[in-house]
Amino acid sequence: MKRLIATLLTCMVGAAISAGPALADQMADIKKKGVLVVGVKTDYPPWGTRDASGAIVGMEPEMAADVAKRLGVKLELVPVVSSNRMQFLQQGQIDLMIATMSDTPERRKVVGIVDPVYYASGVAILANKKAGIKNAADLKGKPVCALQGAFYNNDLQSKYTGRDLVAFKGVTEAQQALLDGRCVGFVYDDVVLVWQKAQESKWGDFDVVMLNEWAPVPWGLAVKIEELNGPWGKFMADVTADWLKSGTLLALEKKWVGSNTPWLVDASAKAKK
Amino acid sequence: MTAGSVPAPLLTPRWLATAALLCCAALAAGEAWAQLQTGGTRPGVLATLWKWTPLVLFGPPREFGGFALNIAVSFLAMAIGTLAGLVLGLGLVSNFAPVRRLSWLVTQFFRNSPWLVLLFFVMLLTPFQLRVAGIVIPLPGWLKATVGLSLPIMANVAEIVRGAINSIPTGQWESAESLAFSRLQTLWRIILPQCVKRMIPPWMNWYAILTMATPLISIVGVNDAMTLTQDALAAEQRSELLMPMYTLLLFFFFVYCYPIARWTIHLERRYAVRN
Repeated sequence: MKRLIATLLTCMVGAAISAGPALADQMADIKKKGVLVVGVKTDYPPWGTRDASGAIVGMEPEMAADVAKRLGVKLELVPVVSSNRMQFLQQGQIDLMIATMSDTPERRKVVGIVDPVYYASGVAILANKKAGIKNAADLKGKPVCALQGAFYNNDLQSKYTGRDLVAFKGVTEAQQALLDGRCVGFVYDDVVLVWQKAQESKWGDFDVVMLNEWAPVPWGLAVKIEELNGPWGKFMADVTADWLKSGTLLALEKKWVGSNTPWLVDASAKAKK
Repeated sequence: MTAGSVPAPLLTPRWLATAALLCCAALAAGEAWAQLQTGGTRPGVLATLWKWTPLVLFGPPREFGGFALNIAVSFLAMAIGTLAGLVLGLGLVSNFAPVRRLSWLVTQFFRNSPWLVLLFFVMLLTPFQLRVAGIVIPLPGWLKATVGLSLPIMANVAEIVRGAINSIPTGQWESAESLAFSRLQTLWRIILPQCVKRMIPPWMNWYAILTMATPLISIVGVNDAMTLTQDALAAEQRSELLMPMYTLLLFFFFVYCYPIARWTIHLERRYAVRN
């Protein structure tokens, strides 16, 4: 038993050493392998999801495919979840992560988030047209549906509505409440609201109104932190800049999300200048 | 119980018929409700379930996943856990005090730790590949998860082994000793063969528990039936599918585990009579 434990420990230490930073140039490695391994989400439509055949599809898998095409290598998609995506990148299990990750200073210490960022989600309200809502100030005294624990709830309640929010645990419940007329609008991520409105006819009497009182949260794609300033990180920075400039992201968003969000329209226009 | 008592049938037909009827009624009600909600514009619940069933059962094409992976993980974790548990269980009855104490410590540790915490430990502590003498051995997530699940199985099998050995009357040891059998010989040739029968029912019980615990591996990012069910639910974005989808998953596990449970009870009764 003791010997077994000793052997296991030796293996683990040995593995830890060999898993350390060893690659000098990841980009050359990817080309040598002939495969680009990208971590994407499988539970976040339309950015990363599975179809019934099991294939991973969405806006981010298409972005990954474009990177592979530019490198002239095959693409391998690895499903990641929020709890393991950064670890997969650190360990070298994936070369690139495009997984709906918000860009935060804490995360920038762990993984190499590439600038410019490729996407951002702002705060918006899916509001009944009859309510005539144009901005957050118009919500005063009105019942508003929201999700429990969203970062803007406190502000929304104390600065704008001035009354308790109609808060729910899940998106579907909140939407049902909105359809049932229990609130004038549902406050949530603009990108998801835009997508859902485009998907279903039942939102015909509703508009997605941006609430610019809250700054959009950028989404970053990431490489290993040691690679950020190396050839691989620089290559991805160029690719992202080109996606914005050439309108590739706008086209992809149009295809998957259904219509373009203000942040991306703005970022693409700025990149063109 | 008398030797003449009839063993319980493996699957009671009346019981199964009732269950099937209830399932169908629930599905039909769900279907009607969904049609009412959507005005009949979307594919029905049954059609949607049918669409996703192959993926949930067998995983994505050219990949090992889905319910098949749950079963494979349960087999492998049981095999590893049983072998390791046998060694650990013999350690628990060792005459050599340090081995006995160490075995006791390991057993208690793994018996009393939450399975999910153990899973996270194994997932985070081990790398995704090993480099041994220049050869790269990949350690896929499902393999790491299997090892993680085999640890509590090991500890519980060890306890089963210890209990079975202790349940053999001491007279057996004494007679073996008088016949000049060594301790090892006594254990292998006399005690353990008698233990097997007693160990099988609790061992099968642990197998069923392990199988039902395999959806835990979805939390650490393995493509098992639970992960794929959640992916399917995310892709569909329809709240009325929540219950039917999870019911389908439950049904797969039930169909697999229920016969094992019945068989365990059957064996328990049979061996109880003979002993």
